[in-house]
Amino acid sequence: MSDINPISSLASAERTPTTIPIAGGSRLQLAKWRVPLSILALCLLPWLLPSKALAVNVLIYGVVCVGYNLLFGYTGLLSFGHAAFFGTGAYVTGIAIVHFGLPWYAAVFFGVICGGLLALVIGALSIRTRGIYFSMVTLALAQLVYYVALQASNWTGGENGLRGFTVRKINIFGAHINFLDPIQKYYVLMAFAALALWFVSRILNSPFGAVIEAIRENETRARACGYNIERAKLLSFTLSGMICALAGTLSAMHLAIVPLDSLHYQTSGMIVMMTLLGGAGSFFGPFIGALVFLLMEDVFSIWTSHWQIIVGSVFILFVLFLPKGIWGTLLAWRMRK
Amino acid sequence: MDPSLIAMQLFSGIALGAILVMAALGLSIIFGMLGVVNFSHGAMFMVGAYAGLWVASLTSSFWWGLLVAPITIGAFGMAVEFFLIRPLYGRSVDDPLLLTFGLGYVLVEAVRIVFGSDGIPFPTPSQLRGVVNLGIGYFPIYRLFVIGVVGVILLALWLLLEKTKFGLIVRAGARDPQIMRVLGVDIGRIWLVVFGLGVGLTALGGVLAAPMRTVNPEMGSLVLAEAFVVTVIGGMGSLVGSVVAGLVVGIAVSMTALVAPEMAQIVMFALMALVLLIRPQGMFGKSGVNA
Amino acid sequence: MSQVLLSVENVGRTFGGFKALDGVTADFEQNKVTAVIGPNGAGKSTFFNVLSGVLAPSSGRISYKGRNITGTPQHRFTHLGIARSYQITNIFPLLTVHENVRVAAQALRTRYNIWSHRDRLKELDEKADAALNAVGLHGRRHDVAKFLAHGQQRALEIAVALVADPRLLLLDEPTAGMGPEETKDMVALIERLAAERTILLVEHKMKMILGLSDRILVLHHGKLIADGSPQQIQSDPEVRRVYLGQSHGYA
Repeated sequence: MSDINPISSLASAERTPTTIPIAGGSRLQLAKWRVPLSILALCLLPWLLPSKALAVNVLIYGVVCVGYNLLFGYTGLLSFGHAAFFGTGAYVTGIAIVHFGLPWYAAVFFGVICGGLLALVIGALSIRTRGIYFSMVTLALAQLVYYVALQASNWTGGENGLRGFTVRKINIFGAHINFLDPIQKYYVLMAFAALALWFVSRILNSPFGAVIEAIRENETRARACGYNIERAKLLSFTLSGMICALAGTLSAMHLAIVPLDSLHYQTSGMIVMMTLLGGAGSFFGPFIGALVFLLMEDVFSIWTSHWQIIVGSVFILFVLFLPKGIWGTLLAWRMRK
Repeated sequence: MDPSLIAMQLFSGIALGAILVMAALGLSIIFGMLGVVNFSHGAMFMVGAYAGLWVASLTSSFWWGLLVAPITIGAFGMAVEFFLIRPLYGRSVDDPLLLTFGLGYVLVEAVRIVFGSDGIPFPTPSQLRGVVNLGIGYFPIYRLFVIGVVGVILLALWLLLEKTKFGLIVRAGARDPQIMRVLGVDIGRIWLVVFGLGVGLTALGGVLAAPMRTVNPEMGSLVLAEAFVVTVIGGMGSLVGSVVAGLVVGIAVSMTALVAPEMAQIVMFALMALVLLIRPQGMFGKSGVNA
Repeated sequence: MSQVLLSVENVGRTFGGFKALDGVTADFEQNKVTAVIGPNGAGKSTFFNVLSGVLAPSSGRISYKGRNITGTPQHRFTHLGIARSYQITNIFPLLTVHENVRVAAQALRTRYNIWSHRDRLKELDEKADAALNAVGLHGRRHDVAKFLAHGQQRALEIAVALVADPRLLLLDEPTAGMGPEETKDMVALIERLAAERTILLVEHKMKMILGLSDRILVLHHGKLIADGSPQQIQSDPEVRRVYLGQSHGYA
């Protein structure tokens, strides 16, 4: 493909993927088993990691990254505003319980719906732009949501975040689950995560999955083939937002508080970093990225409260030398053989 | 509503806008010439403020801080371009964006390590304290100073871009990069200087803003978003757009603070959303390139 | 008397102050091969871009099968039955040859289905295989497009356009960068395609054009300066003047 130097990006440059695309129609044998394998790994996670809390975090942020990856790794759109959907999912869940007294499952449902609607709106506005401009716009629009949440403190608790909605007991089809027990909580949340993974896998395998790959590979060609690019991008954006919103609902249920920072672009950036670390454009990559990132945080914060500087430096090194991420590099290696 | 109050708020808005212009201009210059969106731009603003603080405390003079900080941070910017961003040329256009984001992350934490997480007040220099009677009301001298400095910088920039050979190359390069290579212009040196200039401008904005806000490690995060908003409204890669939009946004925020303070921050984002709806390329941007 | 498939009336396109196309009028009959030639900068690319919907004309109108299609968004064009190939190879580099053509075929069938498995759509595989057989790439269907030789990429370029089963096929310098052998193969392919479809061709290789086309349009400075059979064009004094020393020879 044409040499993309920084100056030629003044034209609406196509984004040359730094990722290895695993076409949804599975070129690797592993890919057929990706959902069962992921679920297996998730089942084992609490026993493999140093703490249950870490396992839950990996679960939640893994789902965020998988959702984000749909847009970033597979469609090729670098959004810097996905915290808006994550945070909205969390806030709506909390608000539904605190202010409307809804049961937890209704709260989760509305969280996902509202996240999806917000994604539709923000997507519609940002898709009017392309390339790096798009990244800037998504960041700024997400910050708008942040400031609205900050100001609407009657609903959201403002700077202090939303509190007062501890989920203690839940009732799933007659099974009584004590949500305060870390293990039981984990597996309930894992059920949702598994659903999300299965949903994403279906999307990637579907004809639409082929469409977004084509858009990532060569947008102008895809348009010439007969695809309405803007509409396809919007659909991808919305689906991606919904999944991140689901992760947000899980986060709200887990923490019993929604911090305002869940909407800040630093959170968006963290999602991007995790996804890239693991490997954008692959199915397992984002989860691995979340795992590695959170492990690093866990381990390094024992030594220093400034673990972020280490993680940030690692990220810079990855961008320079390992842009395909951990899993992506492994995959590329295997493909070469 | 008291007319003098409105006038005062207007002036306040212009001062605020002046700072925004400094941040947005740096971003625009770097993007216009290198095609790189510097996601560490807010962090550089903040580092500029800290650098100014540090130099001022060493020399007991604000003026040394004002002079030295932007130059030092600008030089730092050149090092960043050379060692971190240049290796990424030829790769995906998103890579410099991602890298600079990581860099911003690191810079904020580095500042926390060196200076601590608490905010440090930056005293207004003694020569610029107090207010002056502008006829319609009393206005802080420091803010007038800020407007003045930014005005001078804009003039100097205009002279640089319009009247010097360097400026000609920058303007030509932004329009037709291939020609420059053919003409044998050392493009690497140009990139170095442009990046340093862009970073230096935002660092200067940070030093200027320091007495008006508490200097803390988070002060850059809002600035990044603001710079983006101004750039979107003004038009990507348009320097005139950055200036006009910066002032418009500053005034809009200031005036909104008068009638509905809780909406003040939100109004700039709302403006941006409006521009995206009606004219996605921004006030002075070219249609079809990025929008 | 053949039917008119595409008709352009007084079509013009300006960029800023520059008139890339100026008052071009022509009718294109079904199942004929028409070549568009002209020196560099004559407006051939612009003309193709206007005909394939990449650009809307600044003036004039385009009719297809009798319907006015001026200003139709680009992505609707394949659905109308107009497909194009590009002068600079424009394919999906990291997808395999088969995937390239399949996704092009899919555009006409389903675009927003997020639920079924894509492998279920067997007819897309059949269409893709047919298109690949037509251009002779079936043997390389599992190769990643990026790693094909230049000539094969050009063939893939055509297959991607062909799989949409277009009535009107716009080929933009299909033999760009090809040597004599490959050019012969391409000419043979175009002749096979011409049996069932209307073809519009931009090319620089004069011998090839003279042998292949039923009709030639000559553009110069955005204006149509000649329009006729190969014999008429060859003896046109205006064309001679414009083209003196500019003919290429291959095939």
